[in-house]
Amino acid sequence: MNRFVIADPDKCIGCHTCEVACVVAHAGNNMFLEGECGGDFYPRLTVVETDEVTAPVQCRHCEDAPCANVCPNGSITSRDNSIFINQDSCIGCKTCMLVCPYGAISMVPAYKSGQKQHQSGLHSNSSGAWSRKERIVANKCDLCEDSGHGPECVRVCPTNALQLIVPSQIEDSISGKRLASAQSLQQFGGFSRL
Amino acid sequence: MSYDPIIHIDEQLCTGCRRCAAVCPVDAIIGEPGHPQTIDAHRCVVCGQCVQICTAYAADNESTLASRAVKLQERGQLPNVHEPLFAAYSSGDIQKVKAVLADPKRFKVVQCAPAIRVSLAEEFGLPFGTLTPGKMAAALRRLKFDRIYDTNFAADVTIMEEGSELIGRVMSGERLPMFTSCCPAWVKHAETAAPELLNHLSSCKSPMQMGGALFKTYGAELDGIAPADIFSVAVMPCTCKKFECSREEMNVEGCREVDLVITTRELASLIKDQGIDFIHLPEEPFDSPLGKYSGAGSIFGVTGGVMEAAIRTGYELITHEQIPNLQLDFVRGEEGIRTAEVQIGDLELKVAVVAGLKYVDAVLAKVGEGTCPYHFIEVMACPEGCVSGGGQPKLLLETQRKCAYQARKSAVYRHDSHQKVRKSHENPDIIKLYKDFLGEPLGDTSHHLLHTKFVDRSVKEEMS
Repeated sequence: MNRFVIADPDKCIGCHTCEVACVVAHAGNNMFLEGECGGDFYPRLTVVETDEVTAPVQCRHCEDAPCANVCPNGSITSRDNSIFINQDSCIGCKTCMLVCPYGAISMVPAYKSGQKQHQSGLHSNSSGAWSRKERIVANKCDLCEDSGHGPECVRVCPTNALQLIVPSQIEDSISGKRLASAQSLQQFGGFSRL
Repeated sequence: MSYDPIIHIDEQLCTGCRRCAAVCPVDAIIGEPGHPQTIDAHRCVVCGQCVQICTAYAADNESTLASRAVKLQERGQLPNVHEPLFAAYSSGDIQKVKAVLADPKRFKVVQCAPAIRVSLAEEFGLPFGTLTPGKMAAALRRLKFDRIYDTNFAADVTIMEEGSELIGRVMSGERLPMFTSCCPAWVKHAETAAPELLNHLSSCKSPMQMGGALFKTYGAELDGIAPADIFSVAVMPCTCKKFECSREEMNVEGCREVDLVITTRELASLIKDQGIDFIHLPEEPFDSPLGKYSGAGSIFGVTGGVMEAAIRTGYELITHEQIPNLQLDFVRGEEGIRTAEVQIGDLELKVAVVAGLKYVDAVLAKVGEGTCPYHFIEVMACPEGCVSGGGQPKLLLETQRKCAYQARKSAVYRHDSHQKVRKSHENPDIIKLYKDFLGEPLGDTSHHLLHTKFVDRSVKEEMS
């Protein structure tokens, strides 16, 4: 089973610290450097605020992941119990974004070593003159796998509203519930068939 | 009189998480959870801790927002600022500084606080606490400042004045305890919350204002420039210094002592705007004589630093003997209150260091009752002194905060320990300043230029 991060809307205060932490975790301490993320700021989770609910939403790392199923060139795979987008091979077709039932995928400019990446062939006149078009790729929660410390959003949340669900823990929690459930049956022992 | 309250919360961006209210030392942030917050400008001490902690930012897809360019203009930031716009912010003055630097007719003088040289490099991707006084001076020279003077020099002057004042007051037993008056946020709080105790504050101006006053008098004489032609800029780790420099009484010979204050972050944005490659700049010296400082001047940037610098000089002025140990670990530390007793000849000097303005009210209450046992109390509004100021490079995560403060503090102490002169009264340019210009500490010229009076602000006035 895949791991995933999920928020408790009762605890979330809408401070956006998780989003900021997400960007910092993927950009390092250099995020204020020119060209690094610029005015562009692309967290991989999004805090939603309405009158009824406040909570960050992010990738659920679905088992039968719709995004992976529709990716035309195999850029989305199941890697180490998570759903992973290979941004190096992503062609920016946007299909995964359309099929994701959680709205967890967005399209963002691709960066490498702090520099915006450009396509090798395609040119664009959007800046007024013809120049190589920037690469746009699909972006979503990667559980901070490359950092080696696990999800930064979970660590920084001031109200502990976020948690990482891992299969072994959920098994423990479920077996605990099963045990409690069995124990609660005890008081009904010996009742007759209705 | 109406004035810019300096600290603002953008109601379009604030989500009402109230983490700012949790760090505000004076309960000046008002509002319901989940709704945009407002600031009570009367209570607010302009320390900028709310600006540091705020993470609610402008998402680029919110169509109801005023455009980014409009917001940057409102905030007084340069259009090249590449970072999210956060809800809590301080008014910027960097556009004005940029315009003055382009004016060849003005004689532009700059000073930097002790805490800038241990944090500026962070804005250019170097590790927390990287020490770059030489690159900072080089960058300021390339920005076309005519004189690179230093707040650290002025801090040495402060020690001469404040140390002498302390000795006088301890000997006479007058108005004890004596509080430091370098931190403008603390001064504003005292003026608002405890005006009846203002005579306990040292009458010294802050190092920044002392520097400003000296640049337009002593400095103007040395350079043969009319004070009115000098434009004086101060780079501060502090948002409240913007408030301090605009105080009516802070003027000399009819001129503002300090014309504009910019923060560490504003200086970094100007360096980037001008395309200066900060990391590869050479190490350059400050200009003499108002830019040469002792180790004591450089430790003003951390909590306990003013106390330590004052004891280094006070000890020798009272006993006429060398102080046995220059590193006074008992006043160094973190957020909270530290106390110590220092044996100076026959005198047992009782001192306290308050790091974080929220701890001061208990001390003020004791002073009001007449039961406060100390002679000398240092107060800094920000949690670990100026290294943790509201104008410093923004730390986005709480997980970074401790280690950044620690690294900046270690850099300040390392800088002190590497100075040849580590006591203010042994700084040759300080000795020369008193010989040629000021005369004696607390003398007439000092009294006129370097000392001030405080204002009762307990009555709420109209804000703009």
